[in-house]
Amino acid sequence: MTKMVLPDSVERILLDEATIQQRVVALAEQITADYAGIRNEDFLLIGVLKGSFIFLADLSRRLNVPHRVDFIALSSYADTAEASGAVRMIMDTRADVAGRHVLIVEDILDTGYTISYLQRVFSARQPASLRTCVLLSKPERRVVEVPVDYLGFEIPDVWVVGYGLDFADRFRTLPYIAALKPSAYQ
Amino acid sequence: MSMYDDIAKVLITEQQIQARVRELAAELNDRYDDDAPPLFVCILKGAYMFMSDLTRHLKFRHEIEFMEVSSYGGGTRSSGVVRILLDLESNIENRNVVIVEDIVDSGRTLDYILRNFRTRNPLNLRVATLLSKPSRREINVPVNYMGFEVPDEFVIGYGLDFKEQYRNLPFIGVLKPEVYATEEA
Repeated sequence: MTKMVLPDSVERILLDEATIQQRVVALAEQITADYAGIRNEDFLLIGVLKGSFIFLADLSRRLNVPHRVDFIALSSYADTAEASGAVRMIMDTRADVAGRHVLIVEDILDTGYTISYLQRVFSARQPASLRTCVLLSKPERRVVEVPVDYLGFEIPDVWVVGYGLDFADRFRTLPYIAALKPSAYQ
Repeated sequence: MSMYDDIAKVLITEQQIQARVRELAAELNDRYDDDAPPLFVCILKGAYMFMSDLTRHLKFRHEIEFMEVSSYGGGTRSSGVVRILLDLESNIENRNVVIVEDIVDSGRTLDYILRNFRTRNPLNLRVATLLSKPSRREINVPVNYMGFEVPDEFVIGYGLDFKEQYRNLPFIGVLKPEVYATEEA
């Protein structure tokens, strides 16, 4: 990779563009093999906005199995304890989940509260199957164990930005994943 | 069964798209800087692929938002009135805003979104679209950044769908007429 100028709040690149793309291709091959033969109407990728949109865009274009793409948008409740994981679904899927093979696509698995909540919500809608694909996981942060079927990378407990992840809405579209300087968020 | 059986031809290859997206990003990099970070608004679902590639090449500070709209169907098509399923989180008053679209066809939906946004008093409102079908235009809409002009054919891929299929293809293809002809009958 050519030398690049990092934004001044960025400490170092954790995962460069080529490393991410290689891993996304490998995940796409694995998913393609697992879902081979499924009809387009039956396979639904659900991207969680905003964080997963770049990952979803790259993953879906490398899949060699027909599928639909859907997006959901979430917001936290002001008066609900984080531990419940309960989030307000500002925008639900457009497609009906019942009877379909659903793959939730998320940018990062942290405490596990949100993904656990989403898995409960979608499994209650009686999909044909429900799996989860996550680009990043911070195992040190985990409070709730959640099953993850496809994982990109395990990373240490540092504040990461780029490839969909933000800090105060900044750095979201960097093509790589970088660690933020602690001085930027402390 | 292959995903590609219904595709008559590839209109724009993945390499052509990627090269053009970099050129569009370069134009944006010339215009905007960190002093007044613009907000890029991706119109779902179609523009998610274009948005993800375009914004990766931007060198200036910016924020992104998503908006999903749905037509009412029935007799309202000509008015362009759409239902906003997901609105912006942030206030765009006095901000530079760039709307990111996959395709401008009749122009009616985009015109409606533009009129809606103008009521929110942005500082500046611009439009970036990957594709434009000028032969289909019914209403004049300003397009500031345009990837490719395409003929009046049924295009799919790179975000564009036919009945929720083919969105994920990394290229722009043309659907075989027999695939959608049966739908219109």
